[in-house]
Amino acid sequence: MSELYYEDITVDDELPPLERTPTEDQAIEFFGRDNPTNPAFGDAEAGRRMGFGGALVPGLLKLSWISHYVGAWAGSESNLISVRVAFRRPDIAGNPLTLSGRVVDKRQEDGINIVELEVVTLADGQPSVRGNVQVEIPGRTS
Amino acid sequence: MSEVEESKITAEHRAMIGIKSDPIEVTPKAEDASRMRDLLGDKDPRYSDDTGIAPPYALAMLEPGLPPELSPRVLSSGILTQTEWKFMKPIQINETLSATTQVISIRDRLGGRYGYSVLVTFQTDYLDENGDAVAASLRTINQFDRGDE
Repeated sequence: MSELYYEDITVDDELPPLERTPTEDQAIEFFGRDNPTNPAFGDAEAGRRMGFGGALVPGLLKLSWISHYVGAWAGSESNLISVRVAFRRPDIAGNPLTLSGRVVDKRQEDGINIVELEVVTLADGQPSVRGNVQVEIPGRTS
Repeated sequence: MSEVEESKITAEHRAMIGIKSDPIEVTPKAEDASRMRDLLGDKDPRYSDDTGIAPPYALAMLEPGLPPELSPRVLSSGILTQTEWKFMKPIQINETLSATTQVISIRDRLGGRYGYSVLVTFQTDYLDENGDAVAASLRTINQFDRGDE
């Protein structure tokens, strides 16, 4: 992983977009057990019976993708402080998702370098998850 | 309000705010962290098998169910609409954490795809064996009535 420093970051910097295509199996792989909370996870028929177009992608899987997406950008010396997401639309397995992000603020608080980002997952060009992430980024001198 | 003239949130529902569940013990497991890392393609060396540190998203495996006796059920159906994770310390593999959950807010919502609905927000706090905060999660459930009911 390449390292990123606080001094190198500018508000409005954009993260490289990342495409993910969730599969029906990933919900089961992610949770490590069958259908933990919702039968529509990993089961397209159950999803269709519930009025969706197929198997639902678990929100916690998308939240984890966002956490990893920002962590990979920020580098292995960064620390994730918080991630907050709103699930705007259900995502269906097999439909590609594009993650994108943008720096919206950077500041120093109590000697800590904090960078705040807006992150979104796009499905068919429409936001399905919107998030705000705060991450601690090292300075070149710290 | 259009169809709903007044809030369906009762004093009994509001009385559940702030009541903490009994703490339950949760333990981040190496196999969960490894499986999730592989699934996400996470190559961060901080979370490799020999470090004893779980990636932050391992919190997803620790989330306890919502205790029914502390979960106000205002409307019949519910869907997760918001989640927030906060991290105060790294999550250690095999470290026993104490998880306590409470309702922190209940509020009406008008409009949107469900019409009248109710937003219930739960907070779970994860403490280590010294009582220090390791992480917290907030989950907001949008409760609604299905049209066919």
